[in-house]
Amino acid sequence: MKTLIKISWRNIWRNRSRTIVIITAIILGLMGGIFSAAMRLAMEQQQFEDTIDNQVSHIQIHHPEFIANPEAQYRIPGGNEIAKELKEREDITVASPRMVTDGMISSANMNSGVRIKGVDPVIESKTTGLDQLIVDGEYFTAEGRIPSILIGRALANDLNAGVGSRLVLTFQDIEGEMISSSFRVEGLYKITARRFEERTVFVKSSVINELIGEENAVTEIAIFLEEPDNYRSISRDISEIYPETKVRHWADLEPSLYYSLEVLNESLIWILIIIIMAVSFGLLNTILMSILERVRELGVLLAIGMKRARVFSMIVIETTIISIIGGATGLVLSWIMINILGNTGVNIPGGEGLEEFGYASVLYPRIETSFYFEIAVVIVIFAILASIYPAWKAIRLQPAEAVRQE
Amino acid sequence: MKTVIKTTDLSKVYTETAVPVHALKNVNIEFKEGEFTAIVGPSGSGKTTFLNVIGGLDKPTGGHVVIDGVDIATMKESKLFDFRMRHIGFVFQAYNLIPVLTAIENVSFIMLLQNRPKAEMENRAKEMLEQVGLSDKLDVRPSKLSGGQQQRVAVARALASKPDFVLADEPTANLDTESAFNLLDIMAKLNKEENITLIFSTHDHRVIERARRVITLVDGAVASDEHFERAER
Repeated sequence: MKTLIKISWRNIWRNRSRTIVIITAIILGLMGGIFSAAMRLAMEQQQFEDTIDNQVSHIQIHHPEFIANPEAQYRIPGGNEIAKELKEREDITVASPRMVTDGMISSANMNSGVRIKGVDPVIESKTTGLDQLIVDGEYFTAEGRIPSILIGRALANDLNAGVGSRLVLTFQDIEGEMISSSFRVEGLYKITARRFEERTVFVKSSVINELIGEENAVTEIAIFLEEPDNYRSISRDISEIYPETKVRHWADLEPSLYYSLEVLNESLIWILIIIIMAVSFGLLNTILMSILERVRELGVLLAIGMKRARVFSMIVIETTIISIIGGATGLVLSWIMINILGNTGVNIPGGEGLEEFGYASVLYPRIETSFYFEIAVVIVIFAILASIYPAWKAIRLQPAEAVRQE
Repeated sequence: MKTVIKTTDLSKVYTETAVPVHALKNVNIEFKEGEFTAIVGPSGSGKTTFLNVIGGLDKPTGGHVVIDGVDIATMKESKLFDFRMRHIGFVFQAYNLIPVLTAIENVSFIMLLQNRPKAEMENRAKEMLEQVGLSDKLDVRPSKLSGGQQQRVAVARALASKPDFVLADEPTANLDTESAFNLLDIMAKLNKEENITLIFSTHDHRVIERARRVITLVDGAVASDEHFERAER
């Protein structure tokens, strides 16, 4: 085996430039494939994190009727107690009770339909990190006569409002009666999803509860989990404990996101497999050319008694060595590239348009380490597959004829 | 003297062509140990086919080739590889050394396939290269050697594993006169010293003049089989 490896190693460097070209092709193919996969993954991951962290959380609990009619009359009976009980569980990190209702927001010359989220500022900062999203103004620190409201940057633009502007919220109380109240914009928040910015406003739950006429009203409990992957089993569990509520996990709340992540995970490895397949055909061609160039030499090896299995192994080893050099170099360079770009970020030209759809204009590509190992296995498998045809051609040679080839 | 090869009614017909070609017709020859034989004849007379068949590189369509008591004409291909490696040495017209191996690695190669101990292999390869006058070229690759030198390495390779006989297909055809004589001297010396049976196919009168037995093939059949007494050079 040692001799076979030695001969194979020397053989691949006989035509140095050709070997370098195919190794370069493997390296560039891998880098291109991994970069595009990492960017795609970063895009989806960022959208996932934004959606979960800032918008839907892992699990939400509502009154069953609230789903169709998000109004104050559909409150969760004993919502605060349920939230407290859930917080005691070890598998739940945060359970944030909210008073959520749909309503209308009006400035002096514009109005818009919004979802009003009445939150406990302290709990909400732990839940969604809302305080970290403020880009202008403050996070519920004002103590004035007019209560505070936090609105999205996009909504502020639509309403032609800013920090300090006075806006009116109109919504239903617990009896279904319309009520209106004036709020002062204390801060503007920014998240990637523009639509969320346009449609969601935050006020203190104590303020909105007073307005709707019930001190401890809760229409929504947002839950974050210790182990996010267990969202299905935990949500089933909660549902059994509180059968009078409607418990939904993020995959129910954002099915398009769930399916796009599922498809993405499957598609990334296939994209790379297709790239590696394309490169493997180049490798096959290179090895085949080298076989055709040394028909006489292979004939001699067969004539002097080298068994066909050994000749076959020699060709497979040659192909594998090339793929290992190209593959390992490509993976290491890709790892370095992804690590650098993962820190510096990649600006997407025209990225602001993407924000309309909830994507960031700067992406931080990243790939799980296990993904590199998976690709390494795929490369070796395809290299061996690519070597089979040339190796088969080599062992089909008839030594008596091959030794006389010009 | 011991019989090394015996062919009985050996025939070979190529049927791939429109008209079948009878390359060998009932050839009956015996080669004794230590013989120095030239197979001669015009182009197409069957010299190369004969060498291929007795060398186990090609199968006859009829007859027998018995080497060391074994009929290789009926031997399975997988066994033939091993048989060739252990019993037969080959020297080709175009040298056919392995370009990525040095002279000593080329000479050691068959012994390596035979799994001989490393020290034995190295000593024997050095000894053979010394015998062919290339002890200063041990670590040189074929591309850095002249044609004559490459053919001497090929002879050393063929003889290093001490085969029962060596088949040389026009070994001097690509060599100038000086290199050809030099090679023949070496082969004659090894034939005598190592008592190895040498069988050449050749057109080269320089080889024919040195051979102690000359077999002439015409149209695939033995036209003459002559023995000569040669003076030592």
